[in-house]
Amino acid sequence: MAQEERDELRPQLERYVGQPMGPPASAPDPVNIPMIRHWVDALDDHNPVYLDDAFAATSRFGGVVAPPAMLQTWTMARPRIEGIAERGGAPMEMTRDNAIVALDVAGYVGTLATNSELEFLRYLRPGDRLHATTELESISNRKRTSLGVGYFLTWVTTYRVESEIVGRQLFRIFKFHPSTIGAGP
Amino acid sequence: MSVSDRKTLAGSEVRVGAELPPFDLAVTPTRIVAGAIASRDFMPAHHDAKFARAQGAPDIFMNILTTNGLVARFVTDWAGPEAMLLKIAIRLGAPALPGQTLRFSGRVRSAKPEGEEWVVELEVRAENDLGDHATGSVVFSLPSP
Repeated sequence: MAQEERDELRPQLERYVGQPMGPPASAPDPVNIPMIRHWVDALDDHNPVYLDDAFAATSRFGGVVAPPAMLQTWTMARPRIEGIAERGGAPMEMTRDNAIVALDVAGYVGTLATNSELEFLRYLRPGDRLHATTELESISNRKRTSLGVGYFLTWVTTYRVESEIVGRQLFRIFKFHPSTIGAGP
Repeated sequence: MSVSDRKTLAGSEVRVGAELPPFDLAVTPTRIVAGAIASRDFMPAHHDAKFARAQGAPDIFMNILTTNGLVARFVTDWAGPEAMLLKIAIRLGAPALPGQTLRFSGRVRSAKPEGEEWVVELEVRAENDLGDHATGSVVFSLPSP
C-alpha cells in the first residue's frame, strides 16, 4: 500500500518535466556498412537485408538497410575512455543540469532500467545522418519498492533524418536511494 | 520460412496463438562485450567485471541495445528477412550474465491485414536461471506476397 508522504524534492523535479534532457545529439557518422557489419557479427544476425546488396535490392526495402535495433547506436556519444570508470560509466562529463543529476545529488544514486519501447517509422539506409532529441516525459510520485524509495523517470528520444522522424525510443528508469533498500512492502 | 532459407512468411500463414521456434543463446563474456562495443556502448559494466561488481552486479551484464537486437533477430529469424519491425516494447528484469543461457520464446497475439500488408503482434520473453530478462511485445509488418 503506497503511503502519501511529504516530498520536498517534488517542486525541484517538476521543472525538468517536458524539458530536453541535454543538447541534441548528432550521429558522428552517417549510417554505414562497417558499423552494420560489426553489429551483424556481434549478434550473429544473418538477415540478408543488412549486408547482401543483391538480395536487398529485390526485397521490399529496395537496398540494404540498417538493423532497426541499431537506432540508438548511431547517435551514441563518442566516449572519452580515460576516466570513464570514475565518471560512473558516463561516456563524457555530464555538465548539464538535469533530473538525473538532481536525483544523484539528493542521494537517489541507484539506477535500474525498467522499460524500453522502440518504434521504427522507417528503416535506415547507408548515408542517413541521424539527429536525436530527448525530452523528459514524466517523473512519478516518490514510490517505495523492494529496491528502496525512489522515482520512475520516463524520457522519449526522437530520431530524425533532416526533418523526417524515423524512430522513437521511450525509456524508463527507477532512481532510488540505496539506503532505503528493503523499505518496501 | 526463415532468414536461413531467405523466405518471408505470408500474412495468411500466421496463426494467432502459434508459438515461435524457441531460441537458446549461450551468453558468454565475448557475446556481451561484442554486443556492447558494436552498439558503441562503452559503459564499463558491460566489459569490466571489477567495475560491475563494485556497482553491485554479480558480473558484467548484457546492455539493453544488445537485448533489443537479439529480440529483433529472434523475430526475423522466424518471420523472414522482409518482416519489418515497427515496435519492440520490453520490460527489463534479471540481468543477462555470462554462463547463463538466454531462452527466447514468443507467441502470436494478433495478425491482421492492413492495406497491402499484414501487421503481426507477438508476445516475447527472454529468460535465464534468474528469471525474466525481458518480456514484452514486438509488432512487425509482412509485405503482400
